[in-house]
Amino acid sequence: MGLNDILFAVLAFSALASALAVVMTRNTVHAALHFVGHLLCLAGIYSLLHAPLLGVLQVMVYAGAVMVLFLFAVMILDMGEQEHQAVAASKMQLGAAVLAALVLACLLAGLLRHGFGDALAPAGDPALDLGEGNIAAVARVLFRDYALAFETVGVLLLTAVVAVMVMAKRKLES
Amino acid sequence: MPTLEISLALAGAVFCIGASGVLLRRDPLVMFICIEMMFNAANLAFVALSDRFKSVQGQTLVFLVIAVAAAEVAVGLSIIIAIFRTEKDVNVDHLSELKG
Repeated sequence: MGLNDILFAVLAFSALASALAVVMTRNTVHAALHFVGHLLCLAGIYSLLHAPLLGVLQVMVYAGAVMVLFLFAVMILDMGEQEHQAVAASKMQLGAAVLAALVLACLLAGLLRHGFGDALAPAGDPALDLGEGNIAAVARVLFRDYALAFETVGVLLLTAVVAVMVMAKRKLES
Repeated sequence: MPTLEISLALAGAVFCIGASGVLLRRDPLVMFICIEMMFNAANLAFVALSDRFKSVQGQTLVFLVIAVAAAEVAVGLSIIIAIFRTEKDVNVDHLSELKG
C-alpha cells in the first residue's frame, strides 16, 4: 500500500464522516463548517484521481466563494438561535432514514451487479494525458467540444447575478 | 487499491446522506447545503469514471456543474433571504405561501 492509497483512504473516510456531521449537527454554522471540511476532502480525492484542476477549482469556487456566501446568509438570518427545532419529529426521521438507506442499497447493489466497472474497458483517447497535462487536456475539450455549453454557463451566471441584484434591491411590500 | 470502487461507493453514500439531510432537516440553509452535497456526490462519480476511462470529458462536465451550482446557490440564497425578511420564520414546515 503506497502513500497515495493511505491518503485516499483517509480522505474518503473523513469525507464520509464530515458529510454525516453536516446532517447530524444541530447548529447551522457548524453544519456549514463541516461541509467546508467535506469539500476539502473531496478536493484531495479529485487530485488523487488525476484531476488536479478540479481539486483547485473545488477549493476556490466551492470551499471559498460558495461557502462564504452560505456563511453570510447564516449570519444575516441569525440561524444559530434556531437549534431547538432543527431536527424533525422522530417518526419522520425514521422514515427518511429508511428511505435513504433503501436508495443507498439500490445504488450499491447496482454497482456490485455490474462488477464495479470491471467490464468497462478504458475507451478514452490515449493521447489525452491525465497526468501533468491535465489542465491543457481539459481546456482543449472544454473550448473545442463544449464551447457552446461553456458560453451558455457564462450567460447563466450573468443571469443569476442580475436576478440576485433585482431581488436584493426590491422594496419590501407591506 | 480499487479507487474506482471506493469512489463510486463513497459517491453513493454521500448522495444518500445528502438526500436524508434534505428530508430530515427543517432548516432551509442546511437543506440547501445537503443539496450541494448531492451535487458533489455526482461530481465525484464523474471524476472517478473519468479517471477509469482515461478521458477528460467527465472532468469537463464537472467544471460546468460547478459553475451551474454556483449560479444556483446565488439565486437560492437570495430567495431564502427574501422570504425570511418578510416571514421572520426559519422552519420550512410553516411556509406554505408557494402552495398551488
